[in-house]
Amino acid sequence: MGLNLKSLVIREKTKLETFSNKVIAIDAYNAIYQFLAIIRGPDGMQLSDSEGRITSHLSGLLYRNINFLSLGIKPVYVFDGKPPSLKTAEIERRKQIKKDATIKYEKAIAEGNLEDARKFAQQTTSMRDGMVEDSKILLKHFGIPYIDAPSEGEATAAHLTNTGQAYASASQDFDSVLFGAKRLVRNFTNSGRRKIPNRNTYIEIEPEIIETQKTLDALEITREELVDVGILIGTDFNPDGFERVGPKTALKMIKQHSRLEDIPPIQDQLKEIDYEQIRKIFLEPNVAKVDEIIFGTVDYDAITEYLVKERNFSEDRVQSSLNRLKKAIEKKSHNLDQWFG
Amino acid sequence: MTFEAKTSGSDDLKAIISAISTLVEEATFVATAEGITFRGMDPSHVALIDISWPNSAFEKYECDSDIKFGVRIDEFSKLIKRAEKKDSIEISISDQNMLLVTVGKNKKYKMRLIESSATDTPLPKIPYDSKITLSSSKFDKILGDVQVVSDYLTMHTYDSKADFSGKGDSGEVIIELEKDSEEIQEITSKEDSIGTYSLEYLNPVVKAVGTTAGHITCEFSSAKPLRIEFKVANIGRIHFYLAPRVES
Repeated sequence: MGLNLKSLVIREKTKLETFSNKVIAIDAYNAIYQFLAIIRGPDGMQLSDSEGRITSHLSGLLYRNINFLSLGIKPVYVFDGKPPSLKTAEIERRKQIKKDATIKYEKAIAEGNLEDARKFAQQTTSMRDGMVEDSKILLKHFGIPYIDAPSEGEATAAHLTNTGQAYASASQDFDSVLFGAKRLVRNFTNSGRRKIPNRNTYIEIEPEIIETQKTLDALEITREELVDVGILIGTDFNPDGFERVGPKTALKMIKQHSRLEDIPPIQDQLKEIDYEQIRKIFLEPNVAKVDEIIFGTVDYDAITEYLVKERNFSEDRVQSSLNRLKKAIEKKSHNLDQWFG
Repeated sequence: MTFEAKTSGSDDLKAIISAISTLVEEATFVATAEGITFRGMDPSHVALIDISWPNSAFEKYECDSDIKFGVRIDEFSKLIKRAEKKDSIEISISDQNMLLVTVGKNKKYKMRLIESSATDTPLPKIPYDSKITLSSSKFDKILGDVQVVSDYLTMHTYDSKADFSGKGDSGEVIIELEKDSEEIQEITSKEDSIGTYSLEYLNPVVKAVGTTAGHITCEFSSAKPLRIEFKVANIGRIHFYLAPRVES
């Protein structure tokens, strides 16, 4: 899933604090999907309310946004619209993975193997009806703006970094780089301590920032060429990529021939994919035009009401987290900005 | 391009660098023919430091075109601390984006410069109604006295008198100041003023500049930011701005 650009881009470790006072456009589906995958009990079951509706995504949004707002970070969530039709194959492939994982999960549970059960359960993660609406309700109560993208959320998030309305886009997928984001932050919504599966150790996940221009300079290619590199490796719109072409080979081919049409050994395969359309998805994406991003204020009572009364969150935990946020915001509100005039 | 600046001792530079290090991790300095300046805020914009260090404060100063250079302040600070009190410090910039720092006669450091991401920081525009000038050691002591019971210092001026106070869960303290002696040189107020400021920010910067400053001047107005001026090397100065705490 996603694009395997990890070995090519320049990634720099950073800290969440460095994003304070900055607007970060978050790939909402990507973030919610991660919460659903990660926030689970030891047997792999997700959190749920008294009606059996899953609440892992709400838990993730609650604690993460408290973190962001406490640090003075200004998040704006960008939700996916309709996927480009070229994505069908990838979507089917993901469905199949989930089906297979569900069978493996049930087997692991039957055998009492909890470690495996948790692992396979994570692979079954999918978005269900209502989750996006739940998430939007919670964001509204937080006063956090969200945007409905016409197509891929990442494309609109990337666009916001170019209009100057956002400092960076946040996603785990490297596609944002192809979409032309000025900066991409990874591990933005999942930084912190994480257990390594099947081992009794923890690692610290730190946010990392990728400056697209820095990467292009280092690779000595243009963004158009990088998109072609992506297509060679395989994107969501041609998930299989090209036979026997990994990141290194792809880069070498493009540096030598500069574009897909001019690379002799791949021409047969190239005929089978709609590469011009894929280029267009990345280079001229269908994005939301946003006039102004308006940040609201936190409605503490509404958050408590929704999470505790409707979704069965522990009142104590919600209250103490919100108190932490209240204190942090109070401290921040007394800064120098209002005196610059 | 020529840029070379040489101090006669190391105390002033140490004070300036440690003052900056209380607020930011990376600092961008601007050098012009007139001297070196720095301006920056902490990430939450509660405090701001504005430094002006004119060319005449240096033993030797030469700069024929405006340049900006960025350093990681903890690295720079560690390096400067290797200087003895009497050591001169000479800084210049090499072509390979390195800061050359000569400490004393024979210690020559090279330090990697960082890409400066600095944006222009404005200054708070406010009238100051009250002014208190006192020795930095006295001020440091008062902060310590208040810290015992509170995380905040309240400054209050009335009829050319002033008191500093603090209030916390465990109790409260009030310290009356009178214009008297060496220690407290000036208390003036166009209007009675009362302002409360966080010790979390005040303590480190006062300690950082330490006795290098001699006397310091606090200027403030009711419920508005505080400005502290530290004089460095007689003609250079550090302005430290701090947002007020407003009771909610």
